Amino acid sequence: MVPSKSIILCVDDEPNALMLRRLVLEKAGYSVVTAPSSAEALRILSNTPVDLVLSDQLMPGGTGTDLARQVKARHPNLPFVIISGVNELPPDSAQADLFLSKVEGPVAMCDKISGVLERFRDQNESA
Amino acid sequence: MTVNDKVNILMVDDQPAKLLSYEAILGELGDNLIKAGSGREALEVLLKNDVAVVLMDVSMPELDGFEMAEIIRQHPRFQKTAIIFISAVHLTDIDRLKGYARGAVDYISVPVVPEVLRAKVSVFAELHRKTRQLEALNRGLEQRVLERTEELRQRAELLDLASEAIMVRDLQGNLKFFNTGAETLYGWKREEVIGRNIHELLQTSYPMPIQQIMDNVTQSGRWQGNLVQYSKDGREIVVASRQALKLEEHGSNAVLLEINRDITAQLHAEEALRKAERLAAMGRVAGIIAHEINNPLEAITNAFYLLRDHHSLDEQARMLANMAEEELLRVAHITRQTLSFYRESQQAVMISVARLLDDVLELQSRLLRLNAITLDKKYLTEGAILGFPSDLKQVFLNLVGNAIQAMPEGGRLRVRVANANGNGSRRFGVRVSVCDTGAGIKPEDAKRLFEPFFTTKSAKGTGLGLWISKGIVQKYEGSIRFRSLRMNGRNTTCFSVFLPGLRAADGGESTKVQEAIGSV
Repeated sequence: MVPSKSIILCVDDEPNALMLRRLVLEKAGYSVVTAPSSAEALRILSNTPVDLVLSDQLMPGGTGTDLARQVKARHPNLPFVIISGVNELPPDSAQADLFLSKVEGPVAMCDKISGVLERFRDQNESA
Repeated sequence: MTVNDKVNILMVDDQPAKLLSYEAILGELGDNLIKAGSGREALEVLLKNDVAVVLMDVSMPELDGFEMAEIIRQHPRFQKTAIIFISAVHLTDIDRLKGYARGAVDYISVPVVPEVLRAKVSVFAELHRKTRQLEALNRGLEQRVLERTEELRQRAELLDLASEAIMVRDLQGNLKFFNTGAETLYGWKREEVIGRNIHELLQTSYPMPIQQIMDNVTQSGRWQGNLVQYSKDGREIVVASRQALKLEEHGSNAVLLEINRDITAQLHAEEALRKAERLAAMGRVAGIIAHEINNPLEAITNAFYLLRDHHSLDEQARMLANMAEEELLRVAHITRQTLSFYRESQQAVMISVARLLDDVLELQSRLLRLNAITLDKKYLTEGAILGFPSDLKQVFLNLVGNAIQAMPEGGRLRVRVANANGNGSRRFGVRVSVCDTGAGIKPEDAKRLFEPFFTTKSAKGTGLGLWISKGIVQKYEGSIRFRSLRMNGRNTTCFSVFLPGLRAADGGESTKVQEAIGSV
């Protein structure tokens, strides 16, 4: 269980995938905000406090790594995780703090997200 | 009469007056008249000139005509030279016979009748002229024969220079000619094969019935196509063959010219290229399919994950949801296998191959127990290399998994890790071998083992495990190979992976590791 409910911004252009991922994350104890596109995600980020962004990689309006670069420019300390079904890591995959495979399953996804959150909490506290 | 046709007539007499009278008589023949006052002088003339007829006085001081004739005849060049004797004294038949024996061809008695002398000399002059023409003709012929022979020799040399196998045979297949190219290609020596049957010798297999080819050759005079033949040492050769019919001048004895070019290597290269292209295409397709499947797969997996514990489900519905989730894990497993290039960590880290193998064996320990498989592991080194743990784990999981699946009735799993020099090079690295005593690999499967979608496990296998493993190992610039042996009714199959490691120069660390691991 997450001590104080962390807020995750979930980005994906596929509504079913987005809804199910949101339910899995909520079941793991997170608060979830969703966005169907990069543009909407950026808009939400400008007025809503968020602890982590979890984005799909291949989306019509721009890739997840593109979004990561824009988010990091404004919020360098906000962890950014990409979840993707692609076979090869994109060349700019380092923009994200973690690159997850969709086939890893819900349990691994939640574990790894909590790992990233912890790492950032430690960093931000010591900073 | 041209100048060239003039012949030399040599007149020999010790009396100049007589020479003058002969000259007057023979002048109208139009030939060259040469005078000699003695036997010696005559010999000198003979040696320097081609003489048609010698007109010679029998009685001369120093050397008489008969002695002179004998000397002349001893010289090989003058054995055929005509000699006409002029004799002032009466010659007995015995004398004449003696003269003939010494090479005389005719006699003329004194007093000389000019017409008779002219007639006799002209006969021999004419004879000589004809002989000379004949000789010239002969020489011309000989020259042509020489030139032609040289031409043929050069052509034969050309045939031998050709890298193609060039053969001539009769319609039954009996060899008449076999060039150096054929010797090189088939390994047979010319003298071993001439007269033998080409079909038996080379065990030729034709792309169509031989009768059809022969019909073609007799109708159109030629045929071409690819043949499979065997060399003397049993090597299979594929040749592009051109065959042409040549009718001998006298009709019935036709011969067949067969020119074969070795295309074995070319075909192999083409086959390898096609195969590589096919593999690359299949790999791309596999990747695309996996990606397309991954998106809905994640949604479904999440859905069942949520559904499984949903409070509204009764026991049976929960069981069904569980089953669906289990099956989904299998789908995920398949697509994950094609996602071999996906790496969790983005930076290579130091890995211990031995520790990685222990993780894998731990994962499989339940199956090992269940299948009654004894584990025999020996780590001679920790196998420290720089890499991505998930990649290598996948390779070893695949090899160990295959080994276990090959031994459903139990057996022995042997795992080794050792330092090695890979592929005979001086490269330093780690060699991992995984051996089982299971079903073994059929020789016909061996070639295709590393191809995508090739599986010997029917529905159970994806056919991607070894293909992906090979891809991963190659990314490390390593190599993977296997050997399957059958001895005393038992199979042993070994897969061996070489991974290049740290160079010997920074080997201080690894030596220490080796000692620490020695007790495992």
